[in-house]
Amino acid sequence: MASFGQLLANGIVLGCIYIFIAIGLTMVYGILKILHVAHAAIYTIGAAVGLAIFQLCNNFWLALFLAMLVSGVAGMLVYQGVYRRVLNAPRIVPLIISIGLFTLVQDLLQKDWLLGPYMHAFNVNLNFADVKTSMFRLTSVEVVILTLAIIFLAAVYIILTKTRIGLAWRASAQDTEMAAALGVNINWVIALNFLLGSALAGAAGVLVGVYYNNVYATMGNVPSYKAFVVIVLGGMGNVTGTIVAGLFLALAETFLVATVGFVLPRDAIAFLLLILVLMFRPRGLFSRG
Amino acid sequence: MIEAIFGQYTISVLIFSGIWAVLTLSLNILTGYAGQVSLGHAAFFGIGAYTSALLTTRYGWHFLPAFIGAMLITAVVGGFLGLPSLRVRHDFLVLATMGINFVVVGVFKYTEFFGGSMGIINIRKPVLFGIVLSGEKFLVLVLAYLAFTVWLSYYIARTWAGLAFNAIRADEEAAEAMGVSVPRFKIYAFIISSALAGGAGSLYAHFLGSIFPDHFAFAESIAILSMLVFGGLGTIRGALLGAMVLKALPEYLRIVGDYRYTIYGGILVLMMLFQPMGIIGDGSWLWKKWQEWRKK
Amino acid sequence: MKGLLITEKLTKYFGGLKAVDGVNIEVGEGELVGLIGPNGAGKTTLFNLISGFLKPTIGRILFRGQEIQGLPPHRIAALGIGRTFQIPKPFADLSVLDNVLVAYGHPFYHSIKAFNSRYRMPKFVAIVEEILEKTGLLPYANARAGDLPIGLKRQLEIARALALNPSLLLLDEPATGLVYEEMLQLLGLIRSLNAEGITIILVEHNMPFAMKLCERIIVMAHGQVIAEGTPEEVRRNPKVIEAYLGHKDYA
Repeated sequence: MASFGQLLANGIVLGCIYIFIAIGLTMVYGILKILHVAHAAIYTIGAAVGLAIFQLCNNFWLALFLAMLVSGVAGMLVYQGVYRRVLNAPRIVPLIISIGLFTLVQDLLQKDWLLGPYMHAFNVNLNFADVKTSMFRLTSVEVVILTLAIIFLAAVYIILTKTRIGLAWRASAQDTEMAAALGVNINWVIALNFLLGSALAGAAGVLVGVYYNNVYATMGNVPSYKAFVVIVLGGMGNVTGTIVAGLFLALAETFLVATVGFVLPRDAIAFLLLILVLMFRPRGLFSRG
Repeated sequence: MIEAIFGQYTISVLIFSGIWAVLTLSLNILTGYAGQVSLGHAAFFGIGAYTSALLTTRYGWHFLPAFIGAMLITAVVGGFLGLPSLRVRHDFLVLATMGINFVVVGVFKYTEFFGGSMGIINIRKPVLFGIVLSGEKFLVLVLAYLAFTVWLSYYIARTWAGLAFNAIRADEEAAEAMGVSVPRFKIYAFIISSALAGGAGSLYAHFLGSIFPDHFAFAESIAILSMLVFGGLGTIRGALLGAMVLKALPEYLRIVGDYRYTIYGGILVLMMLFQPMGIIGDGSWLWKKWQEWRKK
Repeated sequence: MKGLLITEKLTKYFGGLKAVDGVNIEVGEGELVGLIGPNGAGKTTLFNLISGFLKPTIGRILFRGQEIQGLPPHRIAALGIGRTFQIPKPFADLSVLDNVLVAYGHPFYHSIKAFNSRYRMPKFVAIVEEILEKTGLLPYANARAGDLPIGLKRQLEIARALALNPSLLLLDEPATGLVYEEMLQLLGLIRSLNAEGITIILVEHNMPFAMKLCERIIVMAHGQVIAEGTPEEVRRNPKVIEAYLGHKDYA
């Protein structure tokens, strides 16, 4: 069995991935109160675009950047073209729309002229060595994931707390009408919301693709469900809570599987946690409510 | 006789449509009447299917007792799995039901008792009164069960229980203040709805002959809810139409068949944008036209 | 006179906030009592405690001598305590008639009879129509409850509570948002209900309305009862004046 340090390191890296995916989801819920199931489709689109660009020009960073750009724009389009029209409908309406979008995109991606039903390798040589310490070892991909996580999350933190638009977001998440009445341009805030969150999801797609050396059309399924677990654990709409929850879930999975040897598959841990939390602390384990 | 005219393929399509119509009708009682949005209904479908399959293949039961056993066991489990609805509502309930679906399918997939990912095979066609029910005879069985479900839906809507369900859907606190025991009726809704779905599961298992865990996964729950919402959430006619159209159509249009889920997804998006009450739901364009025409 | 409704040391904490603090009141059978006080005094919290939507932190509530604190709202409704909500909560996509029928059906919900009997039977409808007539809603019987204007929604709140055949009615600010004619009608309705023997506790922000209608007034502030008595006594009570002078929201 791997050492504690190694498990910890692996868990944290996995946690970063979960956080990347879940942040966009919780931000959308925070402002729109919509369960943005289609977010998983954006994640997959990011992976697909990243792979395509990489196959064209063999430059990982360019591929990552473009994947994030395309994902961000795709997310914004989903808001502008679809969600925006149903903001006042009963909540089941945007939920079904989101499900419809997800189904549609995933099915299209499985067509031969896109990703097809195959698994694609996403082999990137990052040109620097693994990090080895006495306690753990991080591959170059893992180092990249950790570094990007720190950079992006720091950026998100700065935007949310130190800029005007971040303030506007936090106000709108508390009370959309009030914020609008006070002159906040809600649509800009929401659009930025989708841009940021979707870009991060796209990045997650690329990073996961490279990490597991595998990109395929239905790769969005499991992470999307887990992302929901993460946002419930962290308190829906609560960005800091989501970060803590993402790490918590990843560490729980990593340690439980390695030490106890779970009867059900590792993915079930997330769902059991979800049901338990919803039954006993629906506002989340890490929310301040 | 039908078989001679329309062919065995049509019979199969009709059987599937009929089974799915029961599923949408059962979900309609839970979500349409009582307002408990569930994205995990396929779990009950699966529990019924597995129960019936196991009772007949492993314990040698005959079809009819197994069918009834499936409904009863699904009803009990369904009532239990409905407990989260007493704690959470709306979006949170959606997520909880998703989680339940996953755990149930996980149990099917990873325990030996349920056959694991190999599923259950060699489920025999039902034998009633010495007659083997296959082909059009099985269709008669499905239609009979469907007719019962339709009748039950109409019946419940007319009772005090149906009114209580509607009150809960409209406003839970007000319902409580008016004497409705909201927790009790929520569980009733789960029990009835899951029992019906369990029966459909039994029919499915015996028709198909073999069942696998992924038949009852989250994607199927999405499909059932989508059919219901497409047709018209809250209405019996909507449930019937949604199941018929969205189950049968892809079978007949080959091109559609290949792009089935793309079109599915597209239909859902367009419907929710333009006719969120469903094609023939209350307040939909078609239904209003129909009512105007009837007044003339 | 043994009280119909008695609260003993009734207290409710929300975290550190004492929303209701040691409230002892007694309401006798047939009384028409007004409950007034500035915003945040704890009046609606008190109603929520009595009607079962909140459990007290400390204290008891006795109805006809029976302890009812902590019982779920549907049981309290079945015991004969009806309430309206400050912001009306109609069953929006049901008809006005069905809204009241929901409450009328309360005896059926306890047993399997709920699944055994139709609800829209002529004899039930007839009685509900009487209630609708009494509350001026009969012309709107088939209208969608969610489409009603606010005044009629408030009437509907009362009609529904009446269908419970209550011996105690808790009315939470029924006069808010009504125009003068509507208020007169409401006054008449409440008086006639009281004359029929229904005990009524009325929370009202509109002081003249409460003073005109009620024989006894209880004043709350900061979760406590600060005064009790006839309208004249209360009006002159220095503690009451002080409680209101600090707030600009009395009518």
